[in-house]
Amino acid sequence: MAPIIELRDVSTVYEGEKRPAIRDVNLTFEEGEFAYVIGPNAAGKTTLLETINGLLPIFKGRISVLNLDVQKYGKQVRCQIGYVPQDFMVDPGEPYTALDAVLMGRYGKIGVIGRPSREDKEKAIEAMRLLEIEDLANKPVGKLSGGQQQKVMIARAIAKEPKILLLDEPFSNLDPESRDKISKLIAQTSSERNLTTIIVTHDLHQIVDSCSRTIVMNSGRIIADCELRKALALIEKWYFPGFWRHSG
Amino acid sequence: MMYLEYAIFQRALLGCVFIGLLGGLIGVFVVKMRLSTIGYSMSHSAFAGAALGVALSVDPLLTAIIFSATTAFFIGPAADKARLPIDTITSIAFSLNMALAFIFLTFSPQIGLSSEVASVLWGSIVSVTNRDLVYLIALCSITLALIYLFWKELFTIMFDRKMAEADGINTKIFVYFMIFLAGLIVALSLKIVGGLLVYALLFNPASSALQYLHDMRKIIFLSPIIGAASCIAGFFTSLFLDIPVGSCIALISTLIFAVSVIFSPKRKRRWRNED
Ligand SMILES: Nc1ncnc2c1ncn2[C@@H]1O[C@H](COP(=O)(O)OP(=O)(O)O)[C@@H](O)[C@H]1O
Ligand SMILES: [Mg+2]
Repeated sequence: MAPIIELRDVSTVYEGEKRPAIRDVNLTFEEGEFAYVIGPNAAGKTTLLETINGLLPIFKGRISVLNLDVQKYGKQVRCQIGYVPQDFMVDPGEPYTALDAVLMGRYGKIGVIGRPSREDKEKAIEAMRLLEIEDLANKPVGKLSGGQQQKVMIARAIAKEPKILLLDEPFSNLDPESRDKISKLIAQTSSERNLTTIIVTHDLHQIVDSCSRTIVMNSGRIIADCELRKALALIEKWYFPGFWRHSG
Repeated sequence: MMYLEYAIFQRALLGCVFIGLLGGLIGVFVVKMRLSTIGYSMSHSAFAGAALGVALSVDPLLTAIIFSATTAFFIGPAADKARLPIDTITSIAFSLNMALAFIFLTFSPQIGLSSEVASVLWGSIVSVTNRDLVYLIALCSITLALIYLFWKELFTIMFDRKMAEADGINTKIFVYFMIFLAGLIVALSLKIVGGLLVYALLFNPASSALQYLHDMRKIIFLSPIIGAASCIAGFFTSLFLDIPVGSCIALISTLIFAVSVIFSPKRKRRWRNED
C-alpha cells in the first residue's frame, strides 16, 4: 500500500525569505504510524507540519497525503487532518465557549452550508470527556488556563475524527502530571483509531516508548530518522551535546 | 414630531435604521476577522470616490463603490500576505484619499457648499431617496441570508483564521466576501453619515457589543441593535439641535462604546482562573 504521507525533495520558503526553512526533505509515513519530531528552536519542525497539511506553499518538491497532491487538494487533505498548532492561546475576552472551539473542528468536514447535527455535538463532547474537560464546555475558552486551552485544542483535533494527527508541542503548557496522562492518552487513541500521528516535542521525557520513530531536525534538514534510543545517542554524540538535558 | 409626517423624514429615519443595522452587523465580522484597517481605508476611499462623483456630476454612490472596491482589491491582498506593515499602507492610503477627496470637492460644479458636497462631507438626512432605501433593504436581506447560510464558516474564521484554514475551510473566499460587503455598506451609508465618519458605523457598535457579551451568537444580535439605536438617536438629535447627522451618530455610538467599556463585565474580572 502507498504511504499515507509522502514528501519528496520538499523545500519550503516563507514569503519574503531567501533561505528555505526546511530543505530537501524526504519522508514517508505509513498508515497508523506514530512518530516524534525533535530538534532545537528554528529547526523547521513547525514548518514541516504546516507543509504537510498544505498551509504553507512549497517551493520545490512534491507532497502527497492520502494519495492526494497537497498543493492541489489542500482543502480535502486538511479535512482529514487534526492539527494542534504551537502556542495557541485565545484572548480572555473572546466570545467562544470551549465547546464552540471543539465543535468547530468538525465544521470543515461537514462542508459548506451543512449544519452541525446532534451527532457532531456528541462527538465534540465525547472528545472533551476523553480529555477530562467536559465540565469546562460552557466556559469562555479564553478564560481557561494555558494547559486547559491546550487540552481544548487536542479535543478539537480528536473530535474531528481525522485520519492524521499533527501535534505541535502539545504538552508545552501542561504540568508534568497531565503531560504523562495526555501523552499516553494520545498514544492510546492513535492506536485504537489507527491514526497516523506526528508529534513535535521538546520534551523527550514524554516519549512513551523508546522504540518510537524519532525524526531529528536541525537547520531545516532531517539529520536522523530512527528509533528514539539511537536518536538520543546520535544527538548526544554528534550534534548538540547537552540538548537532551536542556530540553527537559 | 411633526417632522415625521413628511415623507422625506420618514425615509431618512428608515435609512438610519437600515444603515445602523447593517453597520452593526457587518461590523462584528470586520472587527473579529481583523479587517478593521481595510474597512478604515475603504471608508475613506469611498469618500474620495463620492467626492469625485460630485465633481463630475455622476452618481456619487457609483464612484464611491468603484473607489472602495479598488482599495479592497489593492489593500486586501497586501494585508493578507503581510508584505508591507498594514499600518503603513493604511496611513498612506488615508492621506492619499483625503487629498483626493478635497481636491475633487474643490472642483465640484456648484459654488460654495452645495447640499451634495455637504452630504458627502458630513452626511445629510434629507438626501435619502427611495432608491437608496430599496438598495439598503436589498443589501440587508442579502447580508442576513449569507450570514445565515455561512454562519458556521464565518464563526470559525472569526475564532482564528489559520485554524479555520487548517480545519479545511476555504477562508479566502469568505474574508474577501466580507470585505466586499463592508465596501458596499460603506458606500451606501456615506450619504447619510458623511465620508469622514462612515467608519464609526462599522466599528463602534460592534466594539460596544463585544464589550458586553461572551457569546458570539448574542453579539451578532446586539451589535445591529446598538447600531440602529445610535442611528435613530443621532437622527433625532440632529433634527432638534440642527447639527450634522453623521456627527450625532458618531458621537452617540462613541458614548455607547465608552459606557460599554466602563460597565463591561469582561473588564471587571482581571485575573484569569488558573487550574
Ligand atoms: N512566518 C515566518 N516568516 C519567515 N520565516 C519564518 C516564519 N516562521 C518561521 N520562520 C523561520 O523558519 C525557520 C523554521 O522555523 P520553525 O519551523 O518555526 O522552527 P521550529 O518549529 O523548529 O522552532 C526559522 O528560521 C524561522 O525563523
Ligand atoms: Mg515550532
